[in-house]
Amino acid sequence: MKLVDLVSKLLDRDEREVVLGDLEESGESGRQALAAVLGLVVRREAALWKNWRPWLAAFGIALPSSFLLMGFSLSVSRAYRQFLDPGPGFALLLCNVLLLAGWSWTGGFVVGSVSRRTVWVSAALCFAPCLFCLARFRVESLSRFCLLLFLLPAVWGVYRGLQIAHVKLSAAIVLALGVTVLTIPAWSGSGPWIPNWALSWPAWYLVATARKSGC
Amino acid sequence: MLGEFEYLLITAAARLGEEAYGAAIREEIEATTGRKCSIGALYTTVDRLEAKDLLKTWMGEATPQRGGRAKRMVRVTLKGAQAAKDFYQAVTRVSRGVSWETL
Repeated sequence: MKLVDLVSKLLDRDEREVVLGDLEESGESGRQALAAVLGLVVRREAALWKNWRPWLAAFGIALPSSFLLMGFSLSVSRAYRQFLDPGPGFALLLCNVLLLAGWSWTGGFVVGSVSRRTVWVSAALCFAPCLFCLARFRVESLSRFCLLLFLLPAVWGVYRGLQIAHVKLSAAIVLALGVTVLTIPAWSGSGPWIPNWALSWPAWYLVATARKSGC
Repeated sequence: MLGEFEYLLITAAARLGEEAYGAAIREEIEATTGRKCSIGALYTTVDRLEAKDLLKTWMGEATPQRGGRAKRMVRVTLKGAQAAKDFYQAVTRVSRGVSWETL
């Protein structure tokens, strides 16, 4: 019965209580009880994916952003080695660091707030490319962990997104404008345009949802 | 219109009346149809019917035979009774003139 108790923790508290009570009352054996609970858990999880939100969070943000942000993390790490001395290069590096933090945080926040109950799938889709790239990283002058610079602000964003569904409108506007302005020097150079703007839309999504909720 | 399993569930709940809750409905369906009724199918259907206002559910009392755990009580709403009646009448109409005994 211990395994059943463990699996049943994937259900809501009230539902767990009811289901375990039903199984106890009907006297179902361990294997039958486990199959029954697993069946309900699978149905509940599948039902969540009938909505567009988990798809957006997992395949619209988490998966593509992890690739793009790993690339940008690497670019920031390289820039750090090249422009360590104060000057225009340092200002650009600072812009890129802030941009990396802004993109990562806003992306993470949208993933957390848009689909709380499937956030583990989004997290897995974000970490899988990270592990893949970490295993194949071959740049001698840089640590492979340079790829993961984006993870800390992204995880913080997810955490905040799980806590609060919307940010205040004023904060959202400042964040979106900041990210957009910081994007300009990033794409005025040799960087690709479309991926950069693809990373900026979560910031404007925060503005749209903050306004919608009347914050 | 209701689905077959939705009709079975509403009918079982109506038959049980004040005693309608998850395990009892499941037992009733299995006893009357001779088919296995999974907990997953039961509770996802209960949720769907409740979302359509065809059922109302609430947490009931805990009993020792359930290990001190609460029941999820179920009541058929007027809308649910009407939907079950419509389903029954449709099945009756479509079955008129057909004799399964001779086939």
